[in-house]
Amino acid sequence: MNLRLQIGRMGSVLVLAFAALASRSEAQVLNSGASTITLQAVLNDSLTVSLSSSAVNFTLTPGSASNPGSLGITATTAWALKPSVGSVKVYAFFANSATALTDGAGHNIPSADFQISNNAGPFTALTSTVPFGGANAGMLLSTTRILGNNRSGSHQDLMNFNINLTTIPSLPAATYTGTLTIRAQAI
Amino acid sequence: MNTGKFSRITAVALGLALATTMAAAQVNSGAQTITLNAKLAESLTLGLSANAVSFTLAAGSATNAGSTSITATTKWTLLPGRTAVGVYAYFSSTTALTDGAGNNIPSSAFFIADNTNPSTALTGTTPWGTGTGLQMENIAITGTNRSSSQTDAMTFNIDLSSLPQLPAATYTGTLNIQAQAIT
Repeated sequence: MNLRLQIGRMGSVLVLAFAALASRSEAQVLNSGASTITLQAVLNDSLTVSLSSSAVNFTLTPGSASNPGSLGITATTAWALKPSVGSVKVYAFFANSATALTDGAGHNIPSADFQISNNAGPFTALTSTVPFGGANAGMLLSTTRILGNNRSGSHQDLMNFNINLTTIPSLPAATYTGTLTIRAQAI
Repeated sequence: MNTGKFSRITAVALGLALATTMAAAQVNSGAQTITLNAKLAESLTLGLSANAVSFTLAAGSATNAGSTSITATTKWTLLPGRTAVGVYAYFSSTTALTDGAGNNIPSSAFFIADNTNPSTALTGTTPWGTGTGLQMENIAITGTNRSSSQTDAMTFNIDLSSLPQLPAATYTGTLNIQAQAIT
């Protein structure tokens, strides 16, 4: 009977010890279930052109090849593009090659007599057909090849302007106005 | 479905996919505009190749030629409404040259041969006087010459046949050459 009592006490002690150990173990780490958050970051294609100024004046001399614009304008093209894009091209163009500038009374300065020198290059008439504007009324200002290191980048085109009146020596005195458009395309 | 039909459908599908991909790859910027303003001002100028002519006169002679010919170059850039440009030679009065002592050579004794035209006395009317000038040019302005020029080569003569008693003296005067554009 005494032995049975002793065994009973030892059993009680062991049960208490195990219970205490188990209790301590559960108190050290308590993990919830894992909840997930799906992350999505979209960097949209973007392509913008901004101009340092938006007006140019010319004082014309009849028949003269050199009638420079009053100032140069810098077009800054900025982009963030998808990997599939190969290049960014910047264009200058008029809506109509015959009437780059007009006095509104039937007397016109065609785009062939309007010239741009881009980034100190030679003066070039706007006689090319580009993705925008009228046929034979534009020019490609620049092409930037897109590589792995410039998918987000920018480019500047400093344009100087000239009107060549040698082909229209009889242009009457008047004020001629027009709109030149600058636009970029990534493709 | 036979193999040929399947191939055609596949080709069309691939074409559409390629076109869609290409369209998606093209990105255009917005259009930025530059306003252009070019002013061609109206102008009318006249320049002379020289500004002095001398004459050695022979009493009563019809022929007293000037020492040099002078070319007047008239240049213009005109508004669309202009219809003509006139070039004139004239004196401010009928007294063309004078010795300052009351002895005068009238404009009727002063002659200009302009280009290939005959020598003509300055007795016509100009915008600046009556009976004292000569219209050398009357140029119609059309769409082809709104900006243009004209030269007038003038040779001069003083006809003293009507002034046989003109006293010996030095006679001076001022001949004006002027252009006018009219509407």
